[in-house]
Amino acid sequence: MGGQISKMMNRIFGSKEMRLLMLGLDAAGKTTILYKLKLDQDVTTIPTVGFNVETVTYKNTKFNVWDVGGQDKIRPLWRHYFSGTQGLIFVIDSNDRDRMDEARTELTRIIQDREMKDALLLVFANKQDIKGCMKPADVSNALKLDSVAKNHIWKVEPSCATTGEGIFEGLAWLSSHVKTPAQK
Amino acid sequence: MTSILPYRPSTGGAGPSSSHTRRSSNARSESIASNRDDGLQDSPQRNNKTLNGHSRTPSTQSSIPAAHPSTAPKRKAALLKSQYPANSTENHVEYILVASFDIDRGSVMEHQYPGPISGDEHMLAELMLPDQTHTRSQDWTIFFLHKDTTAEDEAKEERREKRRQRRKQIENRRRDAQEGNGEGGGELEDEGSIDSEDDEDEDAVINGPPLIYVLNLVNTKLDTTVKRGSVVKSMAICTRHSFLHIYKPLLLLALETYFQAPTQETLALLYHAVNSMDLSLMPKMSYFERSILQSSDAKDMFVEKFEQMIQQRMAEDAARQHLSPTSSDGKPSKRFTIPRDTHEFESKVQYNGVPVPIKVPTAIAPETVGDFSLIKLITTFASGHSRSPEQFQTHPHLTTSGPLTHPIIVLLNALLTQKRVIFLGHNQPSGEVAEAVLAACSLASGGILRGFTRHAFPYTDLTKIDDLLKVPGFVAGVTNPAFAHKPEWWDLLCDLPSGKMKISPKIESASVTEGIQFFQQQQASLSNGRSASDSSASGISGVMGMSVPGLSSHSNTSAHSDAAGDAAFMDSVMHSINSRHGEAAVRSKFRAYVIKFTRLAAAFEESVYGASAIYIGVGNPSAGESATSPLAASPSTSSTSPTTAIEHHNNGSSSTDPQLAGHGYVWPSEEARIRELAANIHRIEGWRNTRSYYAFISDLAVIYTRRPIKDLDLSHLHDRLRSLKLGSDATASIYLALANRIRTYEEVCQLLATVADSSDTGGGAGGGGAGGSGGSAATSYGGGKAGLFWIGLGLFHQRADVREGVVGLLERIKEHEAGRHFWAGLGRFAKLAFFRIKRERESAGNGR
Repeated sequence: MGGQISKMMNRIFGSKEMRLLMLGLDAAGKTTILYKLKLDQDVTTIPTVGFNVETVTYKNTKFNVWDVGGQDKIRPLWRHYFSGTQGLIFVIDSNDRDRMDEARTELTRIIQDREMKDALLLVFANKQDIKGCMKPADVSNALKLDSVAKNHIWKVEPSCATTGEGIFEGLAWLSSHVKTPAQK
Repeated sequence: MTSILPYRPSTGGAGPSSSHTRRSSNARSESIASNRDDGLQDSPQRNNKTLNGHSRTPSTQSSIPAAHPSTAPKRKAALLKSQYPANSTENHVEYILVASFDIDRGSVMEHQYPGPISGDEHMLAELMLPDQTHTRSQDWTIFFLHKDTTAEDEAKEERREKRRQRRKQIENRRRDAQEGNGEGGGELEDEGSIDSEDDEDEDAVINGPPLIYVLNLVNTKLDTTVKRGSVVKSMAICTRHSFLHIYKPLLLLALETYFQAPTQETLALLYHAVNSMDLSLMPKMSYFERSILQSSDAKDMFVEKFEQMIQQRMAEDAARQHLSPTSSDGKPSKRFTIPRDTHEFESKVQYNGVPVPIKVPTAIAPETVGDFSLIKLITTFASGHSRSPEQFQTHPHLTTSGPLTHPIIVLLNALLTQKRVIFLGHNQPSGEVAEAVLAACSLASGGILRGFTRHAFPYTDLTKIDDLLKVPGFVAGVTNPAFAHKPEWWDLLCDLPSGKMKISPKIESASVTEGIQFFQQQQASLSNGRSASDSSASGISGVMGMSVPGLSSHSNTSAHSDAAGDAAFMDSVMHSINSRHGEAAVRSKFRAYVIKFTRLAAAFEESVYGASAIYIGVGNPSAGESATSPLAASPSTSSTSPTTAIEHHNNGSSSTDPQLAGHGYVWPSEEARIRELAANIHRIEGWRNTRSYYAFISDLAVIYTRRPIKDLDLSHLHDRLRSLKLGSDATASIYLALANRIRTYEEVCQLLATVADSSDTGGGAGGGGAGGSGGSAATSYGGGKAGLFWIGLGLFHQRADVREGVVGLLERIKEHEAGRHFWAGLGRFAKLAFFRIKRERESAGNGR
């Protein structure tokens, strides 16, 4: 009963659910972003073994955010998390210029997977607090988003996970662009 | 009494006693020989040499038991073998592995000792570092490896094959000899040692090479001096023993050591420590002995065996010192202690100078891996059910009592009918889900059925999903909530944190099988032909309701009355848990439940298909000609009316005494039979194509060859005594048959195992023909252990010869190693009667 009413309320007030998958190279700041979203706190993170998953409610949208470990060897496992994903958050360490090509290769592989064809793409150009880091436009060029993500709605959001800058803006963008209702 | 013919085994079939004599004594001498031989183990050639020398050494039981009816059945003073002989080539632990989480590469294997384990090393490393292990400092995981057959295994299989052929030859030779000189009766003796020898062989034949069980400990240590602030390492022990939990304290110590000294030597130290564990004083037990020990609470059950092992060892030591006096350097002889509880064998492992006490279970039921708790599993799902019962989406195999079927019954049904079961423990340690999986395997096995652990994945993760989905029917433990969103991956999802179960909306529907149709037609025609009395009509209508394959009618029939007795059963389980009867009590309840289920299935098969694949024995052509008992002459041809109704289904081909020829499950009335079978047909039919069903068929065949008494269904006879109101003639023939036939050590073991298993089972049978519902089941499940009660009742039989016979039988039980514990549990009233009859007999004898 209660569930039914709240579902109805959700429909009236436009509350929705969204399944997000957060990927990126190791040490890009995925887990820090997740817990900044969840707890609005800067937590000290250690490498993620497997995954973390948290539910975050922001502006009437319930985000189900999956954060999957980014080590080289375990990236092939990412595909297991694709199905049902409505938005991909790809986190870039904006200061790690050396691995921008590696990041592009991984992103290409993910976003061109059949199961991700309808997903929104949000790229966090993270670690903006570090001096001399790449700016959002540089990141989008380095990732060649114009071609790689040409079939997707995408955005690059400058962010700093430790301060929270850009994080919620990114969520708001995802929330406003999601089309299909969450399949439960 | 004196007219009893010696028991002559049928010459066909498995040819029990006399040939076994030779085989077992020979096998024993062979083992002695190989024990003494450090270089060659089990060398087949020496067999021929020892054959003549040793085959007669062990003194045999009196060949004509009837001559001394009250002789105590003593186990022969033959050498007992060890479960884990000191000179075995098989190590307790096969591999030690260490994996760690590399911040650049992910899960990697760091060290393997003594050598690399075959298989996908990377996959192993992933299993050793379970998901989310970074969120907790410590986690235990269990997983199984299906190791490919290596050359070593092949060699082992070859040895087994040779041994089998050798036995066959000896058996044939013996049989020829026996037929030649007409040696009668044959020496009945215990088959203990050969049994356990066979056990291993047969296990391997049925189940393939044993699984490798892996116990894994992972630690996450925060360390600000390393890049990204943490070190995650895990160490695993790979063993063929299912009691892998005993290694927990050692792994804790060793992993800690490894953090200090991350070298191969740390692994080697542990490897050698655990493999030097001495279990050689742990006696081997036969099938029935193990069964008795498992079901008994007595802490000194079979303590005699442990004593004998120690004596043997002391004699051996003495002999060795005698042989080589130079080596007797005044070393203080080891102190041997008899175990405080014979269910466990206590030993020690010296690790790094620390003596770590270890307790190894003596008799392990099949499908028992690790130290799970059934009580924990049951309360997890039962408490949610009792608070707010959840409406299941119905499925004929699973919701056998409608949408409100108890979740534990749903789980049990899912496992019996080989569904895909997932235990999900999001944010729980992987050890928790692994424990639940292992408990579930044991729950459905009951120590009777097999094939669950072999297809169990105590811990697995998303990355192995493709392989998992190739397995038809599994039980897996996961921590990743992604599984919940994929109902196409499972049939039953058991969520541990919430204690809720869910049947997948995408579960394959159960097909209406021929068996179900036959059964319904049968019942329909039966009801037409019969003048329908009230009770039978209701019984039939219940069945008819099920003939409509719609779900509503299905739930209708079973929701109201607890026809399957499942609600009553779960009530009794919950009562047992709430009264703190302990884990063993709960396990024995599920054992009883599963035994009953198999017997129902056998009865169903016989009633529908005319014969059952899961019954061997009386009335079964494959059992061979059963010995014609002289008891058949006893005037008991007129059986009482309630029995005939049942008997006509159970009657076998051999019609000796109708009181003895029956077999299988016993119902108080035909109505009860139909009602109970009708409530069970769906899951029985669902079970009939599963791995556990086929394994059960082969297990039965093996057990049948072990049974010293093959032509009587002891549990059937015992059930008749306990659940039917029989006339005195009928009970007389049952009591006399038991008294005359149960003489040797192993025969008494068989009876005790039967009595122990039947003690708190019985289900609907116990309640008598109280037409209503499964309320009867509650009483019988709730009842304590009956023990020898129903045997003891024979002391009050109106016929003197029956009373005498029962006294003889009880005397033998009383003198029996295990029987004395059962005797101790017999009521005072029966004991008084026993001694009174004995006194009367003595005084009568004196007076003569």
